[in-house]
Amino acid sequence: MTRSPDFPSSLDDTEQPLRVSRREMIGLITGAFTAGPSALAIAQGAPRRGGVLKVAAPANPSSLDPATGGAGTDHVFLFTMFDTLVEWEYATLQARPGLAESWSFTDPKTMVLNLRKGVVFHDGTAFDAAAVKFNLERAKTAPRSNIKADLATVDSVEATGSHQVTLKLNQPDAALPLILSDRAGMMASPKAIQALGNEHDRKPVGTGPWRLVNWSDGEKVSVTRNEKYWKAGMPYLDGIEMQIIIEVNTGLRSVVAGQNDYVYFLSPQQRAIIDRSKLGANSGPTLYCVQLYMNYGRPPLNDVRVRRAINHAIDRESFVKATMAGLAEAAWTQLPSAHWAFDKSLVNAWPHNIDTAKKLLAEAGHKDGLDLNLIGYTDQRAVQRQEVLMEQLRKAGFRVKFTNGSIADMSAKFFAQNGDGLLSAWTGRPDPSLTFSLMYMKSAYFNAGKAEPAPELTAAILASRASTDIEVRKRELSKVMKIISDQALVAPLFFQLELDAHGKKVQGYRTNLLGKPKFENVWLSE
Amino acid sequence: MLALDRWKLIGWRLLQFVPVIVMATFIVFGLMQLVPGDIAVTLAGENPSAARIAELRGLLGLDRPLLAQYGHWLWDALHFDLGRSMLSGEPVLQSILKRFPTTLQIVLMALSLSLLIGVPMGILAALRPHSRVDAFVTSVASLGVALPNFWLAMLLVSFFALNLGWLPATGAVDFLKDPAASLKSAILPACALAAGGVAEIARQLRGSLVEVLSSQFVRTLHAKGLSPSAILWRHGLKNVSVNLLTVIGLMFNRLLGATVVIEAVFAIPGVGSMVVASAIQKDFPVIQGVVLAMVLIVISLNLLIDVLYTIVDPRVGRA
Repeated sequence: MTRSPDFPSSLDDTEQPLRVSRREMIGLITGAFTAGPSALAIAQGAPRRGGVLKVAAPANPSSLDPATGGAGTDHVFLFTMFDTLVEWEYATLQARPGLAESWSFTDPKTMVLNLRKGVVFHDGTAFDAAAVKFNLERAKTAPRSNIKADLATVDSVEATGSHQVTLKLNQPDAALPLILSDRAGMMASPKAIQALGNEHDRKPVGTGPWRLVNWSDGEKVSVTRNEKYWKAGMPYLDGIEMQIIIEVNTGLRSVVAGQNDYVYFLSPQQRAIIDRSKLGANSGPTLYCVQLYMNYGRPPLNDVRVRRAINHAIDRESFVKATMAGLAEAAWTQLPSAHWAFDKSLVNAWPHNIDTAKKLLAEAGHKDGLDLNLIGYTDQRAVQRQEVLMEQLRKAGFRVKFTNGSIADMSAKFFAQNGDGLLSAWTGRPDPSLTFSLMYMKSAYFNAGKAEPAPELTAAILASRASTDIEVRKRELSKVMKIISDQALVAPLFFQLELDAHGKKVQGYRTNLLGKPKFENVWLSE
Repeated sequence: MLALDRWKLIGWRLLQFVPVIVMATFIVFGLMQLVPGDIAVTLAGENPSAARIAELRGLLGLDRPLLAQYGHWLWDALHFDLGRSMLSGEPVLQSILKRFPTTLQIVLMALSLSLLIGVPMGILAALRPHSRVDAFVTSVASLGVALPNFWLAMLLVSFFALNLGWLPATGAVDFLKDPAASLKSAILPACALAAGGVAEIARQLRGSLVEVLSSQFVRTLHAKGLSPSAILWRHGLKNVSVNLLTVIGLMFNRLLGATVVIEAVFAIPGVGSMVVASAIQKDFPVIQGVVLAMVLIVISLNLLIDVLYTIVDPRVGRA
């Protein structure tokens, strides 16, 4: 089943992980979460080449062409077959070289990428500047491209050498390197795209560690080793078979029974089964933030006092215990504590206090309480969250009514200016500036009320994209988050943890903060 | 004469195929329009603008009038072109042909199990009505009807797959590639599906057999000195076979429908799981294709049952 990238098919099914130490992990999260026997463990012994990893995947890909797909769950498949121009550090999402060996901004509006030499696509054609130009231009202009907006700041792409491309930008954009670690940076063979046309959706040709063998719709995606892979000695696995099992309980059963080796996107409630079955578990923080989006472009939520009242009324610790069995990190901004730009001064920005909430509501002229029309989803876990939220808000005088439907439809409904708020999630973006641009700028899609942001917020968001100096960016991003927190433009609830289960022979898996599993480091013991 | 009647029946039924197929597919198409949701929103990717969604609707032909969309699909279907999935791009006919054998295998195995267990149970109960055996059969049958098949499926998986490790917990294997593994992987889903079938066959058979065995012509047969087994096999069962055929026909259709749930529990890539996924996403070429295939199967089976009626009870053909 496909889903919108920002609104997963259920609010429980994203993942993300990153490898951190057990102590760090415990520090990171609230509640009684503890890692399982092999959770986060560093694999013992030297990696061994060979073997086929069998994975239970919870969704059929929407497309295996990075430019034409639309589901957030596609990345797990795409990462096996495509390399990105830029990669990220698993633990922090800081940019690192990928197919581009290096990059620089020769001026704020010019980005030069130096490409890796000796890389070939699975069809044997060379990866070079012409291929990058072809891919980026296709992403910007092809009618079926779903990622035109990602490259909105790119005016033109020039091949300025056999292995160098220069991007001319219409405004400074330090988020671009990490944008190129996502779909837009996945390079496909121009020859294959021209030859196959739309069929490239089903027969993708990239440069990744594995190449496609077969995609049997709704059943299985199989990939096999790319013998000409540019990373020496990689990958370890001869192949991966991803069996599509939409129902995660069934997926987990398939691992318990030994039919599959790995299952991801599990819910916290499945932790007990993993432990009971003596499977290994991988878990780690993710960017996936469950939150209440607010339409602050119109009454009653255009009043900052009402928005602050909502945030003070929410008891995040209890919320996490009640809905996530304690396996989540309470959220105060859209960045989790493991992120490089996290600002710890924002923790507990809105202490849970019913009296404060009531007082703020009364000051806003709602002494007798306030009706809120919220929008949500119909799956069981979403409804459970709604019930807890309704009860917490009720204590402060809010009378909440939810209208529910499918994820795609209800999200579209809210962002077309219906309802006061939407209880949903933000699945995160590799670059935090992109998150804030997409959510708070005046014309941003996720600014449902299209309200004019405070000038200092706009300035700080733009400044966070303008500099490539990480310390400057941290400072500007901190400013952004403080303004959002002060204005209470959103009510973040918690960051979901990735939870995966695996059989005993699976080694070397590393969680990542983006929460989309990559199997490049995985190997199978004897 | 009889043969001619039979051919007339077949010809008449075949003529009825056309309106049934058109009506069934049109009703399903109409129902899908009433379901909220828009596949273009799903396909539009990140932060879709209204223009992008409209563009996609244009690319997918969803902006045309509904009748034009349906007519276009029907015309192509008449030319054996069921189109492609809007989500995955896979040709629908190919998907159905690939997945249908898996579903059919489970249904046929469940049906066979139902008959193998249900028929002896029904006969035993009918031979000794109101005895302990009858009470036992009735209890088992009630349990079989009452147990939800998905729950039973999970119990079976938990015991036979996870605890004992005798059978696979999920998936299916192509029968042509590895018949043994294929049968092994289909046992648990078939058992889960068959529970209701066993119950139904046992109860129906018992009911009609008790009625036949207590009728006057059976008393006459006894009086003539025929052995009880000859009465049962030659006269009793022959008389209830029309009922049994009806039950089998209805049960086949119901088992086909029940695969929707069972395939989800066992992660079986059959048409049941395919129709669920496409209905949720409003992938209309796939839904239409599967509905067409299902309708064809159901009405073909009904035709077959009707023809069998004329064989086991020649009065039917003349009526």
